[in-house]
Amino acid sequence: MHHVTRTKMAMLLGLTALGSVACAEISPTSVDPEFLPDKPTSVMVSLSWEEFGSNLEVYGGFGDVYELREGMLARSFGGVLDARTLVRFYTLSTSATVTDSTGTSVTDTLLSLRGGRIVAFMDTVASVASGPVTLELGSLRQPWHGPSASWSMAVDTVGGQVPWIQPGAGPVERIATAVWDPAQGDSVVFFLDTTAVKLFRDTTEVSRGVLLGMLTPGARLKVNDVGLRATVHASLADSLLELTSAWEALTFLYTPEPGAAGNEVRVGGVPAWRTTLDLAVPAILTGPPALCAAVGCPVELTAARLIYAALVLSSQGMDAAFRPSDSLGVDVRAVHDPSALPKSPLGSALIGGYGKMIAPDLFSAGEGTDVEIPITNFVRAILHAETVDGFPPPYSLAILTALEPSSLAFASFAGPGTPKAPRLKLLVTTSPSVELP
Amino acid sequence: MRCIALVLGMLVMAPGSLLGQSLFNAAGLGSPSEPLDARTRALGGVGIGLQGSALLGSDPAAAAFYTLPAGFLTAQPSWVEFERSDRAEEGTFQGTRFPALGIAYPTVHSLVATLAFESFLDQRFESSDPSTITLDGNPVNVDDSFVSRGGISQLRLGLARRLGRRVAVGVSAARYTGSLTRRAQRIFHEGVDTTSVGAFQSGGFWSYSGASVTTGGSVFLGNVAHLAGSLTWSGALDATATDDTDGASRSYDIPVQLRLGATAVLAPGLSVSAGLARADWSSVDDDLRSGASAGVVSSYGFGVELSRASILGRSAPLRLGYRKTDLPFGLKGGTPTETVWAGGLGLNLSQVGELVRAGVEVALERGERSDSALSEKFWRSTLTVRVAGF
Repeated sequence: MHHVTRTKMAMLLGLTALGSVACAEISPTSVDPEFLPDKPTSVMVSLSWEEFGSNLEVYGGFGDVYELREGMLARSFGGVLDARTLVRFYTLSTSATVTDSTGTSVTDTLLSLRGGRIVAFMDTVASVASGPVTLELGSLRQPWHGPSASWSMAVDTVGGQVPWIQPGAGPVERIATAVWDPAQGDSVVFFLDTTAVKLFRDTTEVSRGVLLGMLTPGARLKVNDVGLRATVHASLADSLLELTSAWEALTFLYTPEPGAAGNEVRVGGVPAWRTTLDLAVPAILTGPPALCAAVGCPVELTAARLIYAALVLSSQGMDAAFRPSDSLGVDVRAVHDPSALPKSPLGSALIGGYGKMIAPDLFSAGEGTDVEIPITNFVRAILHAETVDGFPPPYSLAILTALEPSSLAFASFAGPGTPKAPRLKLLVTTSPSVELP
Repeated sequence: MRCIALVLGMLVMAPGSLLGQSLFNAAGLGSPSEPLDARTRALGGVGIGLQGSALLGSDPAAAAFYTLPAGFLTAQPSWVEFERSDRAEEGTFQGTRFPALGIAYPTVHSLVATLAFESFLDQRFESSDPSTITLDGNPVNVDDSFVSRGGISQLRLGLARRLGRRVAVGVSAARYTGSLTRRAQRIFHEGVDTTSVGAFQSGGFWSYSGASVTTGGSVFLGNVAHLAGSLTWSGALDATATDDTDGASRSYDIPVQLRLGATAVLAPGLSVSAGLARADWSSVDDDLRSGASAGVVSSYGFGVELSRASILGRSAPLRLGYRKTDLPFGLKGGTPTETVWAGGLGLNLSQVGELVRAGVEVALERGERSDSALSEKFWRSTLTVRVAGF
């Protein structure tokens, strides 16, 4: 028994020692190129539209202005664009909790309206204004339907269509004007008298609503938010209170509609455009000369050799009216049933998040700039003849904004048949097969 | 049952793969990872010719001296400094091998059966080469690397028997096993959108198979000398690629290996030992895609053992040794050579008469490996745990 115990202790000691020495491995590693059997070769391959693309189509009509939940103001922007913003507020509260002369909190239902104001908050980045801009605020004279209102129609639903008395939500009864100076901040205030405030808080008034317009030509402003603030006097306490009301409906009207898409890749706008195209990726590469010189041609293009693939689009200069004034997030999705376009279901976003962010100046001073939209896994699936989930790969792509719709502005890229037609960029890396010594 | 439990416990503790301890692993089929125990290492042995029982693939007859079931496990950590001959690079690395574990079991008619798992060739190494390439006219930083992970092992089954008091013979058959993963990789850095550009990888996986047979014998010349010899014949070493490996399967001719060893007792408790091994690896040349073998390589070593030393009242043999070994594959031609000075001791934790029921043996070597391209200086420790009579 004594020996058995010693044996066990010896084993335990030995195994503990072995375990301790087995730690802290650092592999034999050298930076001597002699230890590398064969270095890989990487070549960037650019396929022309004719070599990879076909069936480019631009489809419009996805989403509507109301989904943006923002306003837009413009007057002769770019010489053509007019835009007005419509707002309907929730009703203001008719009571408030106040502290009376004895220090007790009580509910005061006899509030006396003394005035009010409407505050609009601008997007200072997306707005285009070279200086102070004069804005007008008016009341609407006819019922309107936020989700379907347009420049010409106050209501445009299946159940009924009612045009504006005058296109553009007119005629408008002006209530106030104000000047917004981009250099002074992001908000502009319209002061209201009690009559105007009562009009906007009256829920029995079916036409109640505020119209924001622009008097200064040549600017385009994006309105992020609008709020109603009323000043009231409490009957149970000698104090002034401010009641606030958020918007219930916020939309905008604009004219003219952008022209139909030409020979271009058009993405964005509201209602939004999408562009679809079919891809055919060659299984064998016979060029370019740089590739052939490096590894010899023909080269089998396999999923393993494809390190990066991107659709290269060349930005086009655009009329100012619908030119992006803020970064536009573009994404791509697989088209699962091309025969059902434009209603085909789409796959998940290949880029994700806010998509590939494209700077607005690429459509003005920076026109002709190449924009790469990574589609590596999409092309790999084509080369592999199946997706990572084992399904047949899609061969059609839809290019669209990551958030759709995202803005009034849209992006335009050169289409097929132009010198800057879309290209497919492939980073191909090959090496001789790894062999045994 | 205890025996089985012990062996299973050792197998659980021992990592399955060999871990690299030399950049010479990159040469040819790798560098030898001899499955020698700590006593052999401390005495500068080549794996044959020591007195007493041992479970060594290179000395199958030594197992004949086991009188009780026994098991052992050997671990071997190393700390290595290397320098290229062009002085362009130097560095350090460290690793631990588990070169051998096994059991011996006396059966009927003085036959001792053995089962051992042993290392053979170590092929683990990595390299990296950062550089700048041009893509679309723009400079792009890339990091090319190559990783080789794995090695060749042997699963050995043997029989040994004493023939009278002076002679012992043994034979063992081994099956090559192990695997190798070789992978080349390119990672892109500055110059491309690294969030979108992935890494390139190419590589393959091979598994090893084959067989070898080792036969040997030993003889006592009175009480003063012990001679032993063994011969290993090997069939082809086959490396079979998996279906999804682009690289080809290959087959290598492993040479016959001859070993001789002797021990002389100079005085009670004092003995000297020496050994010599030889193999002609030039037969592998025709099978190698790159590099070349060193041709005929030989090893020799000698040592001295003070077996009557003790620590805290327990027997603790002291050992010193020297060994010089040619490596079968060089990096840039020529024959790499490893020279080692070694020392060590054994500690018999549980002993009944001459029977050691539990013991630990430790060896510490200071050595150097070098050829015209590379020099490595290393400390190598070997630890063997033995148990018997369970």
